[in-house]
Amino acid sequence: MISLDRYPKEITLRNGARVVLRPLFPEDGGGLWNFLRDLPEIDKSHFHEDVDDLAVVERWAKAVDYATALPILAIRDDRVVGTATLFRNRTGWKQRIGIVRILIAQEFRHLGLGTAMIREIRHLGEQAALNYLVAEVIEEQQAAVRALERMGFEKTMVHRNFVNDRKGHLHNLVVLLHPMSGTEEDLFF
Amino acid sequence: MNCPACGVEHLPAPAGTPAVSGGPRPCPYGGAPYAGLRAGHDRIFFGRWRSTEANSLDVRKARNQLNKLLNDIAGALEPERLPASRKDLNKAFEAMHTAELGEDGPETLLYMDHALSYAHRVIGDLLHEKGAPPHAPGDFAAWYDAPEVPFREDW
Repeated sequence: MISLDRYPKEITLRNGARVVLRPLFPEDGGGLWNFLRDLPEIDKSHFHEDVDDLAVVERWAKAVDYATALPILAIRDDRVVGTATLFRNRTGWKQRIGIVRILIAQEFRHLGLGTAMIREIRHLGEQAALNYLVAEVIEEQQAAVRALERMGFEKTMVHRNFVNDRKGHLHNLVVLLHPMSGTEEDLFF
Repeated sequence: MNCPACGVEHLPAPAGTPAVSGGPRPCPYGGAPYAGLRAGHDRIFFGRWRSTEANSLDVRKARNQLNKLLNDIAGALEPERLPASRKDLNKAFEAMHTAELGEDGPETLLYMDHALSYAHRVIGDLLHEKGAPPHAPGDFAAWYDAPEVPFREDW
Protein backbone atom coordinates (compact mmCIF):
# COMPACT_ATOMS: atom_id res chain seq x y z
CA MET A 1 0.00 0.00 0.00
CA ILE A 2 1.47 3.32 -1.05
CA SER A 3 0.95 6.20 1.36
CA LEU A 4 -0.36 9.31 -0.35
CA ASP A 5 0.21 11.54 2.69
CA ARG A 6 2.71 13.67 0.79
CA TYR A 7 -0.08 15.05 -1.44
CA PRO A 8 -1.02 17.69 -2.32
CA LYS A 9 2.60 18.65 -2.85
CA GLU A 10 3.60 22.03 -4.25
CA ILE A 11 6.74 22.33 -6.35
CA THR A 12 8.40 25.26 -8.08
CA LEU A 13 9.56 25.02 -11.67
CA ARG A 14 12.65 26.62 -13.17
CA ASN A 15 10.66 29.66 -14.30
CA GLY A 16 9.23 30.18 -10.81
CA ALA A 17 5.77 28.79 -11.66
CA ARG A 18 4.20 26.80 -8.85
CA VAL A 19 2.55 23.50 -9.62
CA VAL A 20 0.58 21.22 -7.32
CA LEU A 21 1.07 17.47 -7.53
CA ARG A 22 -1.73 15.19 -6.38
CA PRO A 23 -3.34 11.87 -7.34
CA LEU A 24 -6.08 11.74 -9.97
CA PHE A 25 -9.57 11.81 -8.49
CA PRO A 26 -12.69 10.32 -10.16
CA GLU A 27 -14.01 13.83 -10.91
CA ASP A 28 -10.85 14.82 -12.85
CA GLY A 29 -12.05 13.34 -16.15
CA GLY A 30 -12.78 16.69 -17.82
CA GLY A 31 -9.47 18.27 -16.79
CA LEU A 32 -7.52 15.21 -17.85
CA TRP A 33 -9.29 15.14 -21.21
CA ASN A 34 -8.43 18.82 -21.84
CA PHE A 35 -4.80 18.02 -21.12
CA LEU A 36 -4.65 14.87 -23.24
CA ARG A 37 -6.34 16.27 -26.31
CA ASP A 38 -3.81 19.15 -26.50
CA LEU A 39 -0.82 16.82 -26.48
CA PRO A 40 1.12 16.30 -29.72
CA GLU A 41 -0.04 13.25 -31.69
CA ILE A 42 3.17 11.34 -30.97
CA ASP A 43 2.49 11.52 -27.21
CA LYS A 44 -0.88 9.85 -27.65
CA SER A 45 0.52 6.85 -29.51
CA HIS A 46 0.64 4.43 -26.59
CA PHE A 47 -3.00 4.78 -25.55
CA HIS A 48 -5.21 1.79 -26.27
CA GLU A 49 -8.30 3.95 -26.59
CA ASP A 50 -9.19 7.27 -28.19
CA VAL A 51 -8.14 9.89 -25.66
CA ASP A 52 -9.77 12.61 -27.74
CA ASP A 53 -13.09 11.14 -26.63
CA LEU A 54 -14.28 12.79 -23.40
CA ALA A 55 -16.40 9.78 -22.45
CA VAL A 56 -13.35 7.49 -22.60
CA VAL A 57 -11.26 9.71 -20.32
CA GLU A 58 -14.13 10.29 -17.88
CA ARG A 59 -14.60 6.53 -17.65
CA TRP A 60 -10.89 6.07 -16.88
CA ALA A 61 -11.00 8.67 -14.14
CA LYS A 62 -14.10 7.19 -12.53
CA ALA A 63 -12.59 3.69 -12.61
CA VAL A 64 -9.20 4.70 -11.20
CA ASP A 65 -7.69 2.01 -8.98
CA TYR A 66 -4.50 3.22 -7.30
CA ALA A 67 -3.38 -0.35 -6.62
CA THR A 68 -2.85 -1.00 -10.32
CA ALA A 69 -2.52 2.48 -11.85
CA LEU A 70 -1.58 5.46 -9.72
CA PRO A 71 -1.79 8.65 -11.80
CA ILE A 72 -0.24 11.78 -10.30
CA LEU A 73 -1.43 15.01 -11.84
CA ALA A 74 0.56 18.25 -12.06
CA ILE A 75 -1.89 21.14 -11.75
CA ARG A 76 -1.31 24.80 -12.44
CA ASP A 77 -4.23 27.19 -11.86
CA ASP A 78 -6.81 24.37 -11.98
CA ARG A 79 -5.37 23.12 -15.27
CA VAL A 80 -3.68 19.74 -15.68
CA VAL A 81 -0.21 20.35 -17.15
CA GLY A 82 1.37 16.94 -16.63
CA THR A 83 0.72 13.39 -15.56
CA ALA A 84 2.92 10.61 -14.24
CA THR A 85 1.40 7.18 -13.83
CA LEU A 86 2.83 4.18 -12.04
CA PHE A 87 1.30 0.94 -13.33
CA ARG A 88 1.65 -2.20 -11.22
CA ASN A 89 0.44 -5.78 -11.18
CA ARG A 90 -1.14 -7.00 -7.96
CA THR A 91 0.13 -10.54 -8.45
CA GLY A 92 2.29 -12.62 -10.73
CA TRP A 93 5.88 -12.54 -11.82
CA LYS A 94 5.93 -8.82 -12.58
CA GLN A 95 4.42 -7.62 -9.30
CA ARG A 96 7.76 -6.05 -8.30
CA ILE A 97 8.05 -4.14 -11.56
CA GLY A 98 6.45 -0.75 -12.09
CA ILE A 99 5.72 0.70 -15.50
CA VAL A 100 6.21 4.45 -15.75
CA ARG A 101 4.39 6.76 -18.11
CA ILE A 102 4.93 10.52 -18.01
CA LEU A 103 3.27 13.18 -20.14
CA ILE A 104 3.99 16.89 -20.01
CA ALA A 105 2.06 19.73 -21.67
CA GLN A 106 4.14 21.28 -24.42
CA GLU A 107 4.43 24.73 -22.85
CA PHE A 108 5.57 23.19 -19.56
CA ARG A 109 8.49 21.29 -21.04
CA HIS A 110 12.13 22.17 -20.30
CA LEU A 111 11.13 23.67 -16.95
CA GLY A 112 12.03 20.67 -14.83
CA LEU A 113 8.47 19.35 -14.52
CA GLY A 114 9.26 16.09 -16.32
CA THR A 115 12.23 15.50 -14.03
CA ALA A 116 10.09 16.32 -10.98
CA MET A 117 7.52 13.77 -12.14
CA ILE A 118 10.25 11.14 -12.51
CA ARG A 119 11.32 11.93 -8.94
CA GLU A 120 7.72 11.43 -7.74
CA ILE A 121 7.38 8.09 -9.47
CA ARG A 122 10.74 6.97 -8.13
CA HIS A 123 9.55 7.90 -4.63
CA LEU A 124 6.28 6.00 -5.07
CA GLY A 125 8.13 3.00 -6.51
CA GLU A 126 10.34 2.88 -3.42
CA GLN A 127 7.25 2.99 -1.18
CA ALA A 128 5.69 0.15 -3.16
CA ALA A 129 8.85 -1.92 -2.63
CA LEU A 130 9.30 -2.37 -6.36
CA ASN A 131 12.50 -3.89 -7.70
CA TYR A 132 12.50 -2.07 -11.02
CA LEU A 133 10.82 0.77 -12.82
CA VAL A 134 10.43 0.41 -16.58
CA ALA A 135 9.90 3.29 -18.98
CA GLU A 136 9.14 2.89 -22.68
CA VAL A 137 9.67 5.98 -24.78
CA ILE A 138 9.50 6.61 -28.50
CA GLU A 139 13.04 7.43 -29.63
CA GLU A 140 12.08 10.84 -30.99
CA GLN A 141 11.28 11.96 -27.43
CA GLN A 142 14.94 12.59 -26.71
CA ALA A 143 14.44 15.10 -23.89
CA ALA A 144 12.45 12.48 -22.01
CA VAL A 145 15.07 9.79 -22.67
CA ARG A 146 17.87 12.06 -21.43
CA ALA A 147 15.89 13.08 -18.34
CA LEU A 148 15.19 9.45 -17.47
CA GLU A 149 18.87 8.58 -17.92
CA ARG A 150 19.93 11.48 -15.72
CA MET A 151 17.60 10.16 -13.04
CA GLY A 152 19.20 6.72 -13.02
CA PHE A 153 17.26 4.89 -15.72
CA GLU A 154 19.48 2.81 -17.96
CA LYS A 155 18.76 2.29 -21.63
CA THR A 156 18.54 -1.49 -22.01
CA MET A 157 17.12 -1.90 -25.48
CA VAL A 158 16.04 -0.06 -28.61
CA HIS A 159 13.46 -1.89 -30.70
CA ARG A 160 13.69 -0.71 -34.31
CA ASN A 161 10.43 0.19 -36.10
CA PHE A 162 8.60 -1.47 -33.24
CA VAL A 163 5.58 0.67 -32.45
CA ASN A 164 3.18 2.64 -34.59
CA ASP A 165 1.62 6.02 -33.96
CA ARG A 166 -2.06 6.70 -34.55
CA LYS A 167 -1.40 7.34 -38.23
CA GLY A 168 0.34 3.99 -38.64
CA HIS A 169 3.92 5.30 -38.93
CA LEU A 170 6.53 3.11 -37.28
CA HIS A 171 8.89 4.36 -34.58
CA ASN A 172 11.81 3.00 -32.58
CA LEU A 173 10.96 2.20 -28.96
CA VAL A 174 13.53 2.83 -26.23
CA VAL A 175 13.23 0.68 -23.10
CA LEU A 176 14.80 2.04 -19.92
CA LEU A 177 15.13 0.33 -16.54
CA HIS A 178 15.65 1.84 -13.12
CA PRO A 179 16.85 -0.54 -10.39
CA MET A 180 15.31 0.47 -7.07
CA SER A 181 17.27 0.85 -3.86
CA GLY A 182 16.75 -2.71 -2.65
CA THR A 183 17.81 -4.28 -5.93
CA GLU A 184 21.12 -5.92 -6.62
CA GLU A 185 21.72 -4.42 -10.00
CA ASP A 186 23.68 -5.85 -12.84
CA LEU A 187 21.80 -4.76 -15.89
CA PHE A 188 24.56 -5.33 -18.39
CA PHE A 189 25.50 -8.99 -18.39
CA MET B 1 37.38 34.94 0.09
CA ASN B 2 34.54 32.59 0.88
CA CYS B 3 31.01 33.95 0.70
CA PRO B 4 29.61 34.24 4.24
CA ALA B 5 26.16 33.13 3.02
CA CYS B 6 26.98 29.92 1.15
CA GLY B 7 30.52 29.28 2.36
CA VAL B 8 31.98 28.98 -1.12
CA GLU B 9 34.36 31.19 -3.07
CA HIS B 10 32.52 32.70 -6.02
CA LEU B 11 32.82 36.06 -7.75
CA PRO B 12 31.52 39.02 -5.71
CA ALA B 13 29.20 39.95 -8.60
CA PRO B 14 28.23 38.27 -11.87
CA ALA B 15 30.94 38.43 -14.50
CA GLY B 16 30.55 41.54 -16.65
CA THR B 17 28.90 43.66 -13.94
CA PRO B 18 30.76 45.99 -11.60
CA ALA B 19 31.43 44.50 -8.18
CA VAL B 20 29.47 46.03 -5.33
CA SER B 21 31.83 47.76 -2.94
CA GLY B 22 30.91 47.92 0.72
CA GLY B 23 27.72 46.49 2.18
CA PRO B 24 26.94 42.81 2.38
CA ARG B 25 28.30 40.62 -0.39
CA PRO B 26 25.41 39.38 -2.56
CA CYS B 27 25.03 35.61 -2.78
CA PRO B 28 23.24 34.07 -5.79
CA TYR B 29 22.33 30.99 -3.77
CA GLY B 30 20.19 32.83 -1.23
CA GLY B 31 16.42 32.44 -1.22
CA ALA B 32 16.32 28.70 -1.80
CA PRO B 33 17.18 25.75 0.44
CA TYR B 34 20.51 23.95 0.58
CA ALA B 35 22.52 27.02 -0.46
CA GLY B 36 25.72 25.42 0.82
CA LEU B 37 25.19 22.20 -1.12
CA ARG B 38 24.26 23.99 -4.33
CA ALA B 39 27.22 26.35 -4.05
CA GLY B 40 29.51 23.47 -3.07
CA HIS B 41 28.40 21.59 -6.16
CA ASP B 42 28.95 24.53 -8.48
CA ARG B 43 32.43 25.43 -7.32
CA ILE B 44 33.44 21.90 -8.32
CA PHE B 45 31.31 21.95 -11.48
CA PHE B 46 33.03 25.15 -12.64
CA GLY B 47 36.41 24.23 -11.13
CA ARG B 48 39.75 24.35 -12.94
CA TRP B 49 40.15 20.57 -12.64
CA ARG B 50 37.79 20.16 -15.59
CA SER B 51 39.74 22.48 -17.86
CA THR B 52 42.48 21.34 -20.23
CA GLU B 53 45.04 23.42 -18.27
CA ALA B 54 44.33 21.63 -14.99
CA ASN B 55 47.33 20.39 -13.03
CA SER B 56 47.55 17.74 -10.34
CA LEU B 57 47.05 20.36 -7.64
CA ASP B 58 43.72 21.38 -9.20
CA VAL B 59 42.61 17.75 -9.28
CA ARG B 60 43.64 17.16 -5.66
CA LYS B 61 41.80 20.31 -4.58
CA ALA B 62 38.66 19.21 -6.45
CA ARG B 63 38.89 15.76 -4.88
CA ASN B 64 38.93 17.28 -1.41
CA GLN B 65 36.01 19.54 -2.30
CA LEU B 66 34.07 16.58 -3.67
CA ASN B 67 34.65 14.53 -0.54
CA LYS B 68 33.46 17.45 1.57
CA LEU B 69 30.39 17.92 -0.64
CA LEU B 70 29.45 14.24 -0.38
CA ASN B 71 29.82 14.31 3.40
CA ASP B 72 27.69 17.47 3.59
CA ILE B 73 25.03 15.81 1.42
CA ALA B 74 25.10 12.75 3.68
CA GLY B 75 24.38 15.04 6.64
CA ALA B 76 21.47 16.73 4.83
CA LEU B 77 20.08 13.36 3.77
CA GLU B 78 20.24 11.85 7.24
CA PRO B 79 16.78 13.00 8.44
CA GLU B 80 15.07 12.28 5.10
CA ARG B 81 13.41 9.03 4.08
CA LEU B 82 14.77 8.90 0.56
CA PRO B 83 16.20 5.43 -0.15
CA ALA B 84 16.81 6.13 -3.84
CA SER B 85 18.85 9.20 -2.91
CA ARG B 86 20.87 7.20 -0.40
CA LYS B 87 21.64 4.68 -3.07
CA ASP B 88 22.80 7.45 -5.40
CA LEU B 89 24.95 8.93 -2.66
CA ASN B 90 26.54 5.54 -2.06
CA LYS B 91 27.30 5.35 -5.76
CA ALA B 92 28.91 8.79 -5.52
CA PHE B 93 31.13 7.60 -2.65
CA GLU B 94 32.00 4.46 -4.63
CA ALA B 95 32.95 6.55 -7.65
CA MET B 96 35.14 8.74 -5.43
CA HIS B 97 36.78 5.69 -3.94
CA THR B 98 37.63 4.45 -7.43
CA ALA B 99 38.85 7.91 -8.42
CA GLU B 100 41.16 8.00 -5.41
CA LEU B 101 42.79 4.74 -6.48
CA GLY B 102 43.85 6.38 -9.73
CA GLU B 103 46.75 8.72 -10.49
CA ASP B 104 45.01 11.91 -11.67
CA GLY B 105 44.67 10.45 -15.15
CA PRO B 106 41.60 10.56 -17.39
CA GLU B 107 39.95 7.67 -15.49
CA THR B 108 40.24 9.57 -12.22
CA LEU B 109 38.60 12.60 -13.78
CA LEU B 110 35.85 10.41 -15.23
CA TYR B 111 35.01 8.88 -11.86
CA MET B 112 35.09 12.29 -10.18
CA ASP B 113 32.68 13.46 -12.86
CA HIS B 114 30.40 10.49 -12.09
CA ALA B 115 30.53 11.31 -8.37
CA LEU B 116 29.59 14.91 -9.11
CA SER B 117 26.65 13.79 -11.28
CA TYR B 118 25.31 11.55 -8.51
CA ALA B 119 25.76 14.41 -6.06
CA HIS B 120 23.77 16.70 -8.34
CA ARG B 121 20.95 14.17 -8.53
CA VAL B 122 20.76 13.85 -4.74
CA ILE B 123 20.76 17.63 -4.29
CA GLY B 124 17.90 17.68 -6.80
CA ASP B 125 16.02 15.08 -4.74
CA LEU B 126 16.47 17.14 -1.57
CA LEU B 127 15.27 20.30 -3.32
CA HIS B 128 12.30 18.45 -4.79
CA GLU B 129 11.24 17.28 -1.33
CA LYS B 130 11.23 20.91 -0.21
CA GLY B 131 9.24 21.93 -3.29
CA ALA B 132 12.13 24.07 -4.55
CA PRO B 133 13.10 24.36 -8.23
CA PRO B 134 15.79 22.02 -9.55
CA HIS B 135 19.37 23.23 -9.37
CA ALA B 136 20.79 24.22 -12.76
CA PRO B 137 24.49 25.11 -12.46
CA GLY B 138 24.31 26.96 -15.79
CA ASP B 139 22.21 29.62 -14.07
CA PHE B 140 25.17 30.42 -11.81
CA ALA B 141 27.97 30.33 -14.39
CA ALA B 142 28.39 34.12 -14.32
CA TRP B 143 29.41 33.90 -10.65
CA TYR B 144 32.40 31.75 -11.49
CA ASP B 145 35.45 32.19 -13.61
CA ALA B 146 34.00 29.71 -16.11
CA PRO B 147 34.77 30.41 -19.76
CA GLU B 148 32.18 27.95 -21.07
CA VAL B 149 28.79 26.91 -19.79
CA PRO B 150 28.57 23.14 -20.13
CA PHE B 151 25.70 21.49 -21.95
CA ARG B 152 22.40 21.90 -20.16
CA GLU B 153 18.95 20.61 -20.87
CA ASP B 154 15.96 19.91 -18.71
CA TRP B 155 12.63 18.18 -19.26
